[in-house]
Amino acid sequence: MSRVTEIFLLGLALMLSLVTAQAFNLDELKSKAGEFKSKADELKKQGKSAGLVAYSEEEEAAIGRQIAGSLLGAAPLVKDKALQKYVNNVGRWVASQSERPDLAWHFGVIASNDINAFAAPGGYIFVTSGMYRLLGNESELAGVLAHEVGHVIRKHHLKILRQSQLVDQGGKLLTQQAGGNDAIRKLIGNGAEIVSRALDQNAEFEADRIAVVLAARAGYDAYGLPQVLQEIGHSSGDSSVALLFKTHPHPDERLNRLDSAMADRFDGLKGQALAGRFYRIK
Amino acid sequence: MRHTKIYSRILLAALLLSAPFAHAGESGATVKAEELKAEPFRDAKTIGKLAAGDKVDILKKDGGWLQVKSAKGSGWVRMLSIRRSAARKTSAAAEVAGLAGLASGRAGTGRVVATTGIRGLDEEELKAAQYNESEVTLAESYLTSRADAQKFASKGKLAARKMDYLPDPAAGEKR
Repeated sequence: MSRVTEIFLLGLALMLSLVTAQAFNLDELKSKAGEFKSKADELKKQGKSAGLVAYSEEEEAAIGRQIAGSLLGAAPLVKDKALQKYVNNVGRWVASQSERPDLAWHFGVIASNDINAFAAPGGYIFVTSGMYRLLGNESELAGVLAHEVGHVIRKHHLKILRQSQLVDQGGKLLTQQAGGNDAIRKLIGNGAEIVSRALDQNAEFEADRIAVVLAARAGYDAYGLPQVLQEIGHSSGDSSVALLFKTHPHPDERLNRLDSAMADRFDGLKGQALAGRFYRIK
Repeated sequence: MRHTKIYSRILLAALLLSAPFAHAGESGATVKAEELKAEPFRDAKTIGKLAAGDKVDILKKDGGWLQVKSAKGSGWVRMLSIRRSAARKTSAAAEVAGLAGLASGRAGTGRVVATTGIRGLDEEELKAAQYNESEVTLAESYLTSRADAQKFASKGKLAARKMDYLPDPAAGEKR
């Protein structure tokens, strides 16, 4: 049973009990029931348009684009074309190993000393230059990007949008391309607030499990992400990881979970670290 | 003098080249009892035992394994059984920016630029962010096609291989 139906039935039961207590007149009762029914239909309609059914791929891309634009408003791209092409190459290769290889995947490095990475629906993925500087080789970059790819393919942010205060949102989302999008702005709120919100902890653990597999499928050393988590793990207290620590389980806990999930499944599976061609940020 | 300069350059180059491989000076501790192996794989000969909390010096990394030195001997141990205690490199720039951010009360306005010209990225700044169309367009201009990604992978001798997603180990505990 859908959540809306459940809420509706609960409300109906409650109101009917009030009505029966108040109304002794059968006609009045009848007209009230009719009123409830039209209210319920209206609610149902709103529920549908608010995304309680799945977003189309077009809507997903439009939502992601709006979020990406706002994130870039807070921290622009590092102006280094070779760097940006490099992360798109690594990212697209990793994403090609997922069940959504044909999304228009976009990757970027944004200018911020914070250590963090962000994903938005539709395949927009950004790592901060602070995070990038922590990395020692291509397999570590692949691991970080793969974690974000995991959020996109499992639609973790769309699920948050669906669960949050959206029931009053009406109308089908417009998918115009330029200048931002008012309907979508209404949906996701101002700015890039959604990327600063914590996902469910299990969504983070799930993205970690997906990341090591995508990296392995892509031919990389699967331990790139664990290596980065090791690095970040002892940075607590540093202001550059404040937001990351606030929105993610502690890296040590993520490593514990990865340890039990990976167990001996990756034994004997050699992969490339590619330290040699790793693009060093200027 | 000139020679000294050249030597120091060679030394610097050697240091830079070795950086990705060396983990010298790094230390950590085991998070659980572990076997020390002669080589970096599970079926290798066990040459010692570490207890949870034992301190180790990290010498080298190989996939999911770390070569370590400890009071109980040297050998290979699973990377995920070790937690580091010292950073590979402290990001001086990040610290400077962080301090500048604190000193300027950045959280209040989200508009103060640190001395490095690069800001941190906290919740307030994300909330206050203004949509930037030209940056999105620029980001989109760097798109790599699936075919080009394949070429890029081949250049790095990266071969795709099959592997199933991992089950959630916690899923069994619920219910």
